[in-house]
Amino acid sequence: MQAATGATQLEGSFKIGPAIILITILILFILVGIFFRAKDTTDFYAAGRGISRVGSGMAIASNWMSAASFLGMAALMYGSGYHGLAYVVGWTGGYVLLLILMAGQIRKYGKYTAADFIGDRYYSKGLRAVGAIIAILISISYCVGQFGGIGLMFKWVMGINYGVAVIIGGAVVLTYTLISGMLGVTKNMQIQYIIIIVSFLVPLFILTFKFDYFWLLPQIGYGSVVSDVVSGLPVNEAKELINSLGHDFAIVPSPEYAMPWDPPTGQTFFQWIAIAFSLMIGTAGLPHVIQRFYVVPKARDARWSVVWGLFFICILYWSAPAYAAFGKILSAHPEVGTLAKDAIVVYTAQLGDIHPLIVGFLAAGGVSAAFSTVSGLLVAGSSAFAHDLYVRVINPEASPRRQLLYARLATILMAVIVTLIALKNFALIAQLVAVAFSLAGCTIFPLFLLGIWWSGSNKQGAIAGLITGGLVSVIAITYFIAGKSGVQLPAHEFISYWLEAWYFAWIGAPLSIIVNIVVSKLTRPTPLEIRKFLIEQVHS
Amino acid sequence: MESNPNDYHISFFKPTTDSARRNRNMVIQFVVIWAVAIFGFQILLKVIEKPTPEPAWDIYHSVWGEIAAGSTDATLLKQASQSALSVLGKVAIDPVHRRALDNMISWAAFNIADSEQKTILDDKLRSFENVAVATDDPTAVDYVTAKKELIPVLQEIYGLSPSDIRGRIAAVEINSSMMQSFSDENRMVFREAMDLYLIHNRSVLTDIRFLGFPFHYFYTAVFLLILFVGLCWLYCVRTDMFNKKYGVAD
Repeated sequence: MQAATGATQLEGSFKIGPAIILITILILFILVGIFFRAKDTTDFYAAGRGISRVGSGMAIASNWMSAASFLGMAALMYGSGYHGLAYVVGWTGGYVLLLILMAGQIRKYGKYTAADFIGDRYYSKGLRAVGAIIAILISISYCVGQFGGIGLMFKWVMGINYGVAVIIGGAVVLTYTLISGMLGVTKNMQIQYIIIIVSFLVPLFILTFKFDYFWLLPQIGYGSVVSDVVSGLPVNEAKELINSLGHDFAIVPSPEYAMPWDPPTGQTFFQWIAIAFSLMIGTAGLPHVIQRFYVVPKARDARWSVVWGLFFICILYWSAPAYAAFGKILSAHPEVGTLAKDAIVVYTAQLGDIHPLIVGFLAAGGVSAAFSTVSGLLVAGSSAFAHDLYVRVINPEASPRRQLLYARLATILMAVIVTLIALKNFALIAQLVAVAFSLAGCTIFPLFLLGIWWSGSNKQGAIAGLITGGLVSVIAITYFIAGKSGVQLPAHEFISYWLEAWYFAWIGAPLSIIVNIVVSKLTRPTPLEIRKFLIEQVHS
Repeated sequence: MESNPNDYHISFFKPTTDSARRNRNMVIQFVVIWAVAIFGFQILLKVIEKPTPEPAWDIYHSVWGEIAAGSTDATLLKQASQSALSVLGKVAIDPVHRRALDNMISWAAFNIADSEQKTILDDKLRSFENVAVATDDPTAVDYVTAKKELIPVLQEIYGLSPSDIRGRIAAVEINSSMMQSFSDENRMVFREAMDLYLIHNRSVLTDIRFLGFPFHYFYTAVFLLILFVGLCWLYCVRTDMFNKKYGVAD
């Protein structure tokens, strides 16, 4: 039957309180951007290298905590249970690799962008250009999920169409990235981190308190919520705990929510491992993450900023599963209907009958999360275009003024492309973002890993490895897009399972590394000056 | 790093200085801990897991044979319906499965109810369905009132206590148009759904509780993240110590 569902009630129309909060926060971002605006290219690309460790850690966290973290992870756990934890582990565990294998060395290498490193280390203008193009593609791919998140939140707050919401949100984030550059962005990121984390945690304290769980530390208190979902929670007639639609806070036993790779989720053990692995190596290969290590004064600061960054990130990642668990019980009644998974964080707060202004603040936090990441990505992408492609390859004589102009033009172009793709609404936010991770894991990660730790890796090896990783990426993404467009390619089911768009790096990265090593061994050794530089500067 | 300046060469696995060797050993230690903690634990979960049915599946399984053979015994149907409602209460159900499950509980209610119950059920269910068709707001007064009148009737028919959430679920899942028969096709889908949604991969690691969590969930969602931060912190402390000791410049 189910003629009546709560989903439309939760969506509602224009919400004045949340809209005011959202607009206020956006104006704050722009003001901070103007106040700390970039004065020259060094500022624009690397924030003058004047950011403290804790500040840089906060910026890393804010830059990292995107719509995928804020909205997407809870969505995956809500929909696929334990499978969603592969994303939690993947998006945090990668920092360990990044730190112990790369962070300090990247800073010591002393470049501005990922393509800069690739071009110098592999002494090739062509590779620099390819590295820049890959960085742009990764930034675009990553941004698509963010624009989707922005669209969902704007849609919820303003009661407007998803497409219009994506366009408005995209225009605002573009405006302030253009005004501020990375210096403003970094300052903004610290403010954004505070907004993101406070907006995320406040409703959790309220939910755990309201529904009688250990509320002093909701990140632990929600453990009993998970167990209640697994064992079932009968109607508590004495306390009359209900959701905002009047349904009891109760659920039938639902072990599928927490049991590993449970059959109804349609996810397997292999997929869990492949996703976690791909996200982790992708973390260590993302240009906009690597680029953050250039904004700290010393290699030691780069290392410690990872520790701080990861800690700040984990505060959100320890909390996100709680929304999914509460959401599961609060939406357990069939009358709630089908909810958009990517907005489950906000719906959970609404179903928990939290004050609309606090829910509005939560939605604004989601937008902030997306904004902070998008701005970092746009800077990384535009840097790749203006610095690595235009100045280094096309016009080395370009004046700083002209460079900045090209960086800004590239930012606008990227924003337009991302908006157009985001309007298609291909998949869940976290899955769209995971595509960028696999792409980075197959292409940039092997070049950095071998480039730093093995002087034997040469230009020919890098080219061969890049072609291999690129080929795997092209196959996986082609099958993904074909599948979404309803086109069946040969061995579609086989390829789609083993090379799914969100985890193809599980095989692409190792293959790329092996090919790089084999070809390097068979060809001319790396020039002496590069080897000398590695020893004297990077590993001194 | 080699001492011969004419042959500069870096290889992670072949360090040539004391500090590089110690750094390599430290990185290997950390990577091994990291890999075993993440993947080792998931592999262990996979190795020791066993398909374990929920109690609702056991009940369904014990009565389904007779129902499939044509029995309409009220006790058997009550038990099977309760199990079906245990599936319908789960949040994510495939629409095809839901339809078969709805058919089962509707058909069972019709066969369980005696003539007096049938009259009341018919009256309350039709009233509720009429209101439901007319509104899309589950908080509308008419809708809530009609539902509240239907729930006790269903609780009695299915033998559910007032605190059992399945009574409330039954009210929105039962369908008057599905009461007369339970089609062969839906029977097949019903059995498939019961196996799919009520059997889970469980082990001692999923059944132990730790700080309120199922242990494996705590380990993956909470502990691993603590471990990651701890590993990063320890790496930085040790690197600082090594760098100081070996005079490595930052």
